[in-house]
Amino acid sequence: MENNTDTIIGINVTLKGNLHNKGSIQVNGNIEGEVRSDENVLIGETAKIKGPVIAKKIEISGEVKGLVDASEKLEINSSGRIYGDINAKSLVIKEGAIFVGKSTSSSTPEKQGELKKAPTEKDEVPKTEPIENKDKLGFFSKK
Amino acid sequence: MYYYIFDLKKCRKHSQVADIKNYLASLGISGEFTYPSAATNIEELVDLGLSKKYNTIVGVGGDEIADRIASKIVGHPEAMGLIPLEASSDLTHLIGTANWKDAAENLRYRRIIETRIGLTANGSGFLTNLNLNLKNPTEVTLEFRDYLVQARAISVLVSNFSQGVKKIAPDHLDIVMKNAAPKPAGLLATFSNLFSSKNENLGYSMFRARSLRIFTNSQVNLLSGGYVVAKTPQLVESSDEDLRLIVGKKT
Repeated sequence: MENNTDTIIGINVTLKGNLHNKGSIQVNGNIEGEVRSDENVLIGETAKIKGPVIAKKIEISGEVKGLVDASEKLEINSSGRIYGDINAKSLVIKEGAIFVGKSTSSSTPEKQGELKKAPTEKDEVPKTEPIENKDKLGFFSKK
Repeated sequence: MYYYIFDLKKCRKHSQVADIKNYLASLGISGEFTYPSAATNIEELVDLGLSKKYNTIVGVGGDEIADRIASKIVGHPEAMGLIPLEASSDLTHLIGTANWKDAAENLRYRRIIETRIGLTANGSGFLTNLNLNLKNPTEVTLEFRDYLVQARAISVLVSNFSQGVKKIAPDHLDIVMKNAAPKPAGLLATFSNLFSSKNENLGYSMFRARSLRIFTNSQVNLLSGGYVVAKTPQLVESSDEDLRLIVGKKT
């Protein structure tokens, strides 16, 4: 057993409900419900989770049917299977892993927000030169 | 100042009682010596000691007397001490010695720690841990505040203090369950030896909680240090208040 892990769900153990922990969680059994940790969640090869998994770092070698949200890093190992959307700042998917769902990066929305942001009065608008100065060929000049 | 309650069943010879009394007198920590009987049980003796304003209640014996005194004086300003006689290794580890003479000297130095104890709904307490007395793999359900856990368990330990279990939160109980692995069939059975040690480790579960309810499909005893504390179904929780316990210098 890992001493640094707060909660361990053993193989052939079924947990129903919401497992919320400040410390790390290791899952080798079955869970129907939400798994949430302020630290890490390690999902072993024998684990099956039906429900969202939310943590700082998540490593998946088993099966998850539900949202996976890692505020720092999500790693899907070759035996890992995710059927659901994922959101992670940093994402590693190893060869052989199965992922069916949408992927978003928690750093992406900020950048998109910056691009879509409408200019305000305070924002500096780039000055453009008058058309007349650019009309070197004389298309716009009065004859 | 010191109020001693002897568990005579744990004394190897009658002369051991006299030896302990003499040694305590030589250390200058003699006091009132009492013995539970059919007329007055351990809990009543503790009440008597508290009513007489003794500030230290000392059990002389094993896990049972320690647990029964602890469950009576948890939350009180009075301190509890223990002179171990045939006590479990977890209990002697908690107080810092398995030797009764060393324990007597620790009483004199009065190094006190504040610790929680485990409590069951039937009013019993335990300083170290509770074991489900499972003779065969048994369907066990553990009900926590936000979730339920079900497994075919071969052992369940509810620990307030155990040598092998790292305690993360002082006001939480640590629950360690080992469940029975299903027997492999066909080809898998041939190769099962190759994977058995790996699966054995995966069969461990650990939970931390302030309280839990334990259910089994047939009634099972909950043991602490070998004696029966309660039976399933049972509510087990960590005490809200501290016990002031005298321990060794190195504990």
